Amino acid sequence: MSDPAKKWKRREREATAGLLSGPLLWLLLFFVAPVVYVAVYSFGGIKLFPTDAGVVSLDSWRRFLGGGSVYMALFWKSIRISLTVSVIVVFLSYPVGYFLALCVKKRKYVLLLLIIAPFLTSYLLRVLAWKIILGDSGVINSFLFSVHLRSPDHPITWLLYSQFSVMLVLAYVWIPFVALPIFVSLDNLDRSVLEAASDLGASRWQTFWRVTFRLSLPGVVAAFVFVFVPTIGEFVTPLLVGGPSGYMYGNAIQDLFTKGLDWQTGSVLAMFLLLVVAGLMVLFGRFVQVRNVAT
Amino acid sequence: MDAAASKGGLRLLRVFFALLAVFLYAPMVVLAIFSFNNGDVSFPLQGFTTRWYAQFFSNPLLIGALRRSAIVATLSSIIAVALGVLASFALIRRQFLGKSATSALFFSPLVIPYLVFGISLLLLFTVVDKLLTQVAGVYIGLGLHAVVIGHVVVSLPYVILTIMPLLERLSVSLEEAAHDLGAGTWQTFRRITLPLLLPALISSFLIAFTLSFDEFAIASFLAGTQPTWPVYLFAQLRVPSQLPQLVAVASVILLGSLVLVLFAEIVRRVVERRYGAEYSGRGIV
Amino acid sequence: MTNELDRLAARTLKRRDFIRYAGVAAGAGVLAACKKAVKQGSGPTGGPSTARPPIGQEPGGLQVFDWSGYGGGEYYPGKEKQYLWADYQKATGDTPKFILFENDDAGYTKIAAGASYDVVHPCAYRFKDYVDLGVVQPWDTSLISNYSQLNPMLEQAGQIDGKQYFIVEDWGFIAPLYRADKVQPVEDSWSLLWDDRYSGRISWINTLEMLVIAGYYHQVPDPWTMTDDELAQMRDFLVSKKHLVSFLWDQSYDLWRAFKQGDVWIGYAWPDTVGYATAAGMDVVYMQPKEGRIWWSCGLGLFGSSANYYHAHEYANSWSTAKAALFLESYYYYGHANTRVDLSQLPPAIVKAFSLDDVTALQPPKAYVEAWISRRSVYSQYWSEVLAA
Repeated sequence: MSDPAKKWKRREREATAGLLSGPLLWLLLFFVAPVVYVAVYSFGGIKLFPTDAGVVSLDSWRRFLGGGSVYMALFWKSIRISLTVSVIVVFLSYPVGYFLALCVKKRKYVLLLLIIAPFLTSYLLRVLAWKIILGDSGVINSFLFSVHLRSPDHPITWLLYSQFSVMLVLAYVWIPFVALPIFVSLDNLDRSVLEAASDLGASRWQTFWRVTFRLSLPGVVAAFVFVFVPTIGEFVTPLLVGGPSGYMYGNAIQDLFTKGLDWQTGSVLAMFLLLVVAGLMVLFGRFVQVRNVAT
Repeated sequence: MDAAASKGGLRLLRVFFALLAVFLYAPMVVLAIFSFNNGDVSFPLQGFTTRWYAQFFSNPLLIGALRRSAIVATLSSIIAVALGVLASFALIRRQFLGKSATSALFFSPLVIPYLVFGISLLLLFTVVDKLLTQVAGVYIGLGLHAVVIGHVVVSLPYVILTIMPLLERLSVSLEEAAHDLGAGTWQTFRRITLPLLLPALISSFLIAFTLSFDEFAIASFLAGTQPTWPVYLFAQLRVPSQLPQLVAVASVILLGSLVLVLFAEIVRRVVERRYGAEYSGRGIV
Repeated sequence: MTNELDRLAARTLKRRDFIRYAGVAAGAGVLAACKKAVKQGSGPTGGPSTARPPIGQEPGGLQVFDWSGYGGGEYYPGKEKQYLWADYQKATGDTPKFILFENDDAGYTKIAAGASYDVVHPCAYRFKDYVDLGVVQPWDTSLISNYSQLNPMLEQAGQIDGKQYFIVEDWGFIAPLYRADKVQPVEDSWSLLWDDRYSGRISWINTLEMLVIAGYYHQVPDPWTMTDDELAQMRDFLVSKKHLVSFLWDQSYDLWRAFKQGDVWIGYAWPDTVGYATAAGMDVVYMQPKEGRIWWSCGLGLFGSSANYYHAHEYANSWSTAKAALFLESYYYYGHANTRVDLSQLPPAIVKAFSLDDVTALQPPKAYVEAWISRRSVYSQYWSEVLAA
């Protein structure tokens, strides 16, 4: 290679290194290192507290993965709750996205904004509002008392501090978020395709099912993943409205770290969650190209 | 005939949308009612008052938490955008070994649950502090700096996802033309590329800011003695004396967001009247 | 919230008499607890006073790591400051900064993880854990002018290895609380906390203490040092009864709010809930269960790394006054270590909550001291399993 070419190549490489060094260093230091640290902790390699074993062993993992672990049962409970919530949310958000993208001509962005606007208010306060609505002497029960459908001594108690309230609040929080990618994918649909389908004699239902829905499927799958993945590790909502039966996997992790002082078991649980989520994302990545989501 | 929905179907969809809007706003209305309640945020209602609104303006803890969140969000967003621009350029314009692995690394914070990430950062800072204390006798501790660091990490993928598409569309030939005309690399960047990238920079900044401002999980582990707004809120939710003021704040924010929606509708109407219906349908709002 | 002090019933009972009785009873209980605790040497001795800068050169901004409602104004804005630390502010010109923990366990975990403040306010069953961590230093009681007013029997609980690591300030009971107008217990027993008739109306505390309560109910020989088998039994028992519980509380006010709204009729409660309920005119009973109540004490600890040595002592001094005692007793229905409180009139409810007319109230079998649990991490594991199940 000639000298000027070598110099140019070197400068190119330096330029790339210069560009990458900042963000890469940041992520290596503050993302990769902490995660590796948690992984090492989960194998007992670290002794931070007097109660830590400080000896590398598979014990903590074996206790968790072996049969009968309470935490594993809790994990599956959380998966079940997340799946239910995600399905419900996608099911409810689709008509919203459909309506705004395909049926509204003039006001679609304003209405979209209307759906998203509650998000500017803090999530915690909105959950508090649900506590007031769902409580034993809250809005719903008070209403039922006043119209004599229920006596004040027998309110509907499962509205709050139950798995129901956890799912309700999670659905409430996620629907607007999920309506957005569905809306975007439907909005980008070429209307002429729909017209062509109906010209070919398809009924509206057939058009929807065989054309529209199929074309919007990547958006739907993305929306599902969008809500399913974070919900598995959810801990704030169950903490506020879950009660003893709404306790989820994320709560166990949080309690182990903040109250139980068993950081090793907490690390095991945290790593497991991370691995499951990473695995899910890789799986779904096969269906949804990153580039499609980006554009 | 409308291929998307029949008349009956349209009515159904409209009703569904209206019901959903009610569902989304019902808790906000409840909050608004309690912001005027002369008592604790629980039934029964105890009379009308506006004192909570007056009080929260002069509540130093509340204002402090809001201010801290604003600072953290601004700082972390600026850093995230800066790093994101660099990363985007590397990913779009450059060829190098291990590009897909690096790309995966940049997007991996999307995967980690914030609970796990907050804990892992807590661990890292704890260990680093223990080391520093033993070796150099210095103790940094947790605090807003830790929250900023954590927020930069989780915002970075969103920033890159926002900038990359626009950067891709920007024609390289523009920059080459500038080079030919004698502009240096930095000049080209500053006067050609940057202004063209501006919309993506602004949106990514806004996304990162919003993410950081309401972020609870990571901040709850790292904020130390300086609570950010969500951490402060969470602590106050369990305690009687500050709660009505917070509800008043929430009502103010709700009012603000409704005004925003109203404003958007007015703008749309104005644009429609001026430029015709085809323009107002997309892109303006 | 009306002023408790303005509504005191005319009931002449010498406060001093009670403290004397309680002191004796407390002393007996404390000594019994001390027998259980293993004494080990640990903790920094605190630097020589000659190396310390005088109070004028201390940074100030005293950081107090505490429960809510102990100065930050969360429950009684204005009053908490007035009674607990206004004296401190007058003496030093400094305003303390309150950092709150969710409960004792959460506080300890944070400190074990490396967090550091000036003053901490844990409860006696944790004193030894803090000393073992090596983060606290002994107080110099000669710097606390009000120290002589404090009950020496209670202060003994704050001594580890003969050094006064903690200044015991407040104490109180743990017992079932129930609404007399809604609940008729079968007997005066902790079993009310899992009474099938009141499903959904019960609240437990969100700590491993529930295992201990279950232990007392099942007449385990020593609920504070249970074997793995016993713990497993208690865990399974609690899991089987968990469906009766509406929610688990971390802060006492959570329980009170549930009582106030009528959602909960029965709770594992500290005396302050009795105070709120009585002030609101609710008909509640703070039970004396047949298995016995539990009584706790808490105290102020000083961090070894604190740069506010003299400020901290002034703060402890402010907390040790009769004024502070008056506040805790009248508003939270907690006891206080100060023996000179000149309170000759108390509402009947306080008398009942403290069992003032019963001298043996702090002794077994009426009450058991909340003891240090040597296998606390094991208890904690079993409690997490109760939560997760």
